[in-house]
Amino acid sequence: MNDADDDILATTHAAPGEVGLVEPRDWVTTEPFTFVNGQTIGGFTLRYETYGRPNAAKDNAILVCHALSGDHHCAGIHSLNDRKPGWWNNLIGPGKALDTNKYFVLCANVIGGCQGSSGPSSFNPATGKPFGITFPVVTIRDMVRAQKIWLDALGIPSLYAVIGGSMGGMQALQWAIEFPGYARRIIAMATTWRESAQAIAFNEVGRQAIMQDPDWKHGDYAAGAGPRVGLAIARMMAHITYLSDASMDRKFGRRQVAERLKAPPAATKPAPAQADCHLISDKPAAAAGGAATFDVQFEVESYLRYQGKSFINRFDANSYLYITRAIDQFDLGHAHGSLEQAFRSVESDTLVVGFTSDWLFPPEQNRSIVEALLRAGKPASYAELTTDLGHDSFLLESPQLYDLVRGFLARPCRVAVKSS
Amino acid sequence: MSRPANKRTVDMQILADWVEPGSRVLDLGCGRGVLLENLVQSKNVYAVGVDLDFDKISACVRRGLNAYQGDMLRLMGTFPEHHFDHVILSRTLEEVGHPADVIEQALRVARRVTVGFVNHGFWRNRLDVLLRGRKPRNAVYTTEWFESRPGNPVSIADFEHFCAAKGIVIARRAHLGGDWKTPCKVAPNLLAGYALYDLTR
Repeated sequence: MNDADDDILATTHAAPGEVGLVEPRDWVTTEPFTFVNGQTIGGFTLRYETYGRPNAAKDNAILVCHALSGDHHCAGIHSLNDRKPGWWNNLIGPGKALDTNKYFVLCANVIGGCQGSSGPSSFNPATGKPFGITFPVVTIRDMVRAQKIWLDALGIPSLYAVIGGSMGGMQALQWAIEFPGYARRIIAMATTWRESAQAIAFNEVGRQAIMQDPDWKHGDYAAGAGPRVGLAIARMMAHITYLSDASMDRKFGRRQVAERLKAPPAATKPAPAQADCHLISDKPAAAAGGAATFDVQFEVESYLRYQGKSFINRFDANSYLYITRAIDQFDLGHAHGSLEQAFRSVESDTLVVGFTSDWLFPPEQNRSIVEALLRAGKPASYAELTTDLGHDSFLLESPQLYDLVRGFLARPCRVAVKSS
Repeated sequence: MSRPANKRTVDMQILADWVEPGSRVLDLGCGRGVLLENLVQSKNVYAVGVDLDFDKISACVRRGLNAYQGDMLRLMGTFPEHHFDHVILSRTLEEVGHPADVIEQALRVARRVTVGFVNHGFWRNRLDVLLRGRKPRNAVYTTEWFESRPGNPVSIADFEHFCAAKGIVIARRAHLGGDWKTPCKVAPNLLAGYALYDLTR
C-alpha cells in the first residue's frame, strides 16, 4: 500500500492551554419562533458561551453542538471552585484541536433544553407558569433553526465548522442539510442518521420512568419539584448505554462499596423523603437483611445512583422527555425520501468518526452516513477509532482523535461539490 | 514498507497517465494518500481513498482527501454500477483476502480498474527461493517472514492467467524492470520488477 514516510505533521503544537474562566450569556429574541410542527412561541432565549475571538472576516467561527444531557458549557470553568471544566474541555482551548487562538468557538444550549435556553421549564407569559408539556414539540431541525437565528443575530455570516457528538452529531448533519454552505465543514461523531429501534427503546424506558413517577403530574410540576425519582432512574439507565462492558468492568469490576463508608445504624436515619433516599442515595445501607439486601453493594450501583442524583439537580424532567423525543424523531432518510436525497443539497465537507465500542450509535450507523454522502458525490470522510469506552468515547482524551480533527480543520476548504 | 520515495515515481506517473483529468477515482488501500494527492493535484480528480488504518485515514484527511476507513468490499457494495471512472489498487491486491471478488466488484463500480503490483516472478525473488531457500528479502520485501503481514504475492504470469480465466480485458499493461523505472519488454514475468494493468470488461 502507498506508505510513504514524507507525511510528518507540518507543525509542532505548542503546549495546549486552558480557556480558563468563562461566563455564559443569554441571547433573547421577542420575534415569534414557529417550530417544525407548526406551533409558535413568542420569542425565545438561548444561553451560550464563546471561546476565542472572531477574526476580522468573521470566518473562523466553529459551532459546537451538545448531546442530550450536555449544555452550552463545553470548555473552561465558571469559578475557581469548579470541580470540573466544561464537557469538551479536552478538545477546546488555546493550542488544542479546536484552537481558540485560531477559531472563535461557540456553543448554545438547545431550544427545548433546561440550562438557560427556552424549554418546557421556561416561564410561559400567557399562563404565568412554566410551559411544561404545553411547550411545542422540539425536533433536531428546530434546535438548528433556532441556533441559526441566534448566529445571524450575532452577525456570524458563515461557520468555519460545526462539530458535535451523539445528538450534537445529528445537529451537525442537520446543519449541512438545512443551511447548505453556511457551515463549510461538518464533524459528526458517535452519531446516527436515523435513531434505531434499540436507541428509541432506551429513550422510551427513560420517559416511562419519568412519566410513571407520581410527581411528574403530567408535566405540571412546580419549579424545583418534579419526578426526581423517575428522572434519576432514566439517567441511570441511559448512562449505562454510554459505557461498555469493558469500560465498566475496568472502572468498577465487581468491587463492593467499602465497609468503612457504611453509615451509622439505620435507626438513626431520618425517616422522611424515603423514596429519594432509597433510590437516589449513593451510600450503602447499614442494616443487614430485609430491604438493605438490595441497597448499594457494588461500586457500579453507587456510581449510577450518584449519576442519577446529580442529574436531578441540574436537569428538568420535561426537557428530558422533549429532547429524547427529538432524538427519536430524527430520521434523515425518512424526512427526505432517502439518505442520499437528504444529502443532495449539502455543500459542506463532512468528517464522521465512529467508535468501535459504541453500541448506542454503532460504527455501522456512522459509516453509512459517509457512504451516502459519497454516493451523492459529496466530499466526506469516515474514520473509526478503536476504543473500549462505548458511546462516550467521543469525549475521550485521544491524541489520535485530536490530530484527525486538527487535520480536518486545518486543510483547505474543498467545497467544490460534484453532483453525481 | 518504507522505500526510497523515488522508487515510486514511475509507477505513479504511469497511473496518472492512465487516469482521465477530472474523473472519479476510488483508491483501494490508499495508505497515507500520496498517490491520490498527486492525482488530485495533477488531474483534478474527485478522489476517495479506502484504508483500514486510522492513522493512514487521518493522514489522508490532513492531505485534503476523501478517505474511508473500512472494508473495501463493503464500501464498493454500497455504490451503484460505474459510480467511479477508475478504481486503483496500487500494491493492494497482494494483501486482500479475496482478490477475485475485489476485482469483480471494482469492475462493477468503475469502468476501468488499474492494478499495480510487485512481480513475485522477478528473477531475484526466484533466486532467493532457489538458492537460499528463503523468503525473498530485498528493497521491496523488506521484512523477515516473522515480522511480515500475511500476503498473497502474485506474479505477472499468475495475473494474466487470472484475467484470461475470468474474461477480464487487459486494456493496457506496463512492465518495469527491477529498478521500477525502465520499461521491460522482454520476458516480463522473469525480468520485470513491477507491473501495472488497466482492466476493463
